[in-house]
Amino acid sequence: MSGKPLRIPAGLVSAVVALLIWQIATTWGPLAGTSVPTATSTLAELWNMLFMSETWDSIWQTIQMALYGFLIAVAIAIPVGILIGLSRFAFISTKFTFDFFKVIPPIVIIPITILVFGPTLQMGVFLVVFAIVFALAVQTAYGVRDADPVLIETMRCYGMGRAKQVLFARLPAASPFIAIGIRISVSAAMIVAVVAGLVGGAPGLGHDLLLAQTNGQNTVTFAIVLILGILGLAVSRLVVFLQRRLIFWTAS
Amino acid sequence: MRLLNSRIIRFLVGIWLPILLIWWWWTWSADSVDPFFPPLSAIWEQFKFNWIWQYVPIHVFPSLRNLFAGYFIGIFAGVTLGALLGANPRVSRYFEPVIDFLRSIPPVATVPVFILFFGLDAQMRIAAVAVAACFPTLLSTMQGFRATDPTLLDTGKVFRLTPFQMMWKVRVPNASPIIWSGLQVSLQIAFVVTIASEILGSGFGIGAFTTISIDSFMILDAWTGVVLLGLLGFALNVIFDLVERWSLRWYIGQKKLAS
Repeated sequence: MSGKPLRIPAGLVSAVVALLIWQIATTWGPLAGTSVPTATSTLAELWNMLFMSETWDSIWQTIQMALYGFLIAVAIAIPVGILIGLSRFAFISTKFTFDFFKVIPPIVIIPITILVFGPTLQMGVFLVVFAIVFALAVQTAYGVRDADPVLIETMRCYGMGRAKQVLFARLPAASPFIAIGIRISVSAAMIVAVVAGLVGGAPGLGHDLLLAQTNGQNTVTFAIVLILGILGLAVSRLVVFLQRRLIFWTAS
Repeated sequence: MRLLNSRIIRFLVGIWLPILLIWWWWTWSADSVDPFFPPLSAIWEQFKFNWIWQYVPIHVFPSLRNLFAGYFIGIFAGVTLGALLGANPRVSRYFEPVIDFLRSIPPVATVPVFILFFGLDAQMRIAAVAVAACFPTLLSTMQGFRATDPTLLDTGKVFRLTPFQMMWKVRVPNASPIIWSGLQVSLQIAFVVTIASEILGSGFGIGAFTTISIDSFMILDAWTGVVLLGLLGFALNVIFDLVERWSLRWYIGQKKLAS
């Protein structure tokens, strides 16, 4: 990072230029007179929305779905992943099933969850769990299997039990894997919470976005998309920051 | 557990759980009267009726066309931009914050924006898929190009490679394993956005079929749509893995030798 002192100015310059291009394109350029709002009116709308309690309620509902779903998924996936990782038989037995569900995007099962839960917070939470639990379990299992076999043998020679092996050899080996899994899961949780609202009708920003678009409130539509971008950026930054603090023993 | 080293045994161990799960679903739902969870046998009959091949031309073909058109446009743009930015770190510093922001927007959330631009036709879907598919590829290509081993570049200079040769003989092969992982994420996102664009903009496609079935309370039809989408999502990933393994076989061989 040789250009570190230049980083913030570069970011500012590019953000301002991007906004200028947007503004020019929508006032004089090819997008003038279309349904695409100008940058200034969108930012004004965004500013207005910041003072409305509904906006903050929606943000909170979206975060709630993502957070509850994430916590439930972690509580299931990490123990399951450890158990699967401990036995080669269990690992191979579950691999195909988990890989299958891992690659099925939650949007596919939204029609079914609408039937079961209706457009509720629970639906969003369920979709978030479904979206991340399989990948996180597989990731944990890989990590547990990655423990140094010599270390495990040594511990066995010294008569340390399974529990101690897991605690002192397997979990430390797995933690970088789990950390990557968690970083991906947090972003996925936020995205799925928005999708649950947009496509499934669950409360929150996704639902607001759908309403704004179908009611033809174009500036609100764009303003919500901006909020989503800012929120996504903030969440991913926060996770990186927390991970640097918590898992300090792995580089990068 | 020596037994597990045999390929056939490993395969058998790998499939008992899926078979058990499907059997369990089949028997559990066999005399289900719950309207939301019809018997699997009924879903299967309806599936054959709907998707072999009655609705394939009007729903599956448009979905696949939008998916692949958008995906290939998106990854083409992603690889091109990513290569340019990755090879020119001075320029990319100015683009990165904007790219960072744009990729933080959930891909599906851009569908309403594209509806504003294009209305509800196929163009909107393809554009939404293309933009969503662009970002993962763009980022991984940038990363791949930036991570080119300086020794390799210097060696290339010593051998007086032209910039063109440098690109195709050094930078691209070196970056390709990372680019491929971006291409896979792009495909998964393209699939999701395709479905979302069909659910949000009424019309043709498997996603639209499934939503319309739910809205008109045709639960069996909705289940067949869900099953088809699930199988399709899985199949896309399997095919992608095969293509990736084939085109990266030199790299996989290298890693095997090294370990």
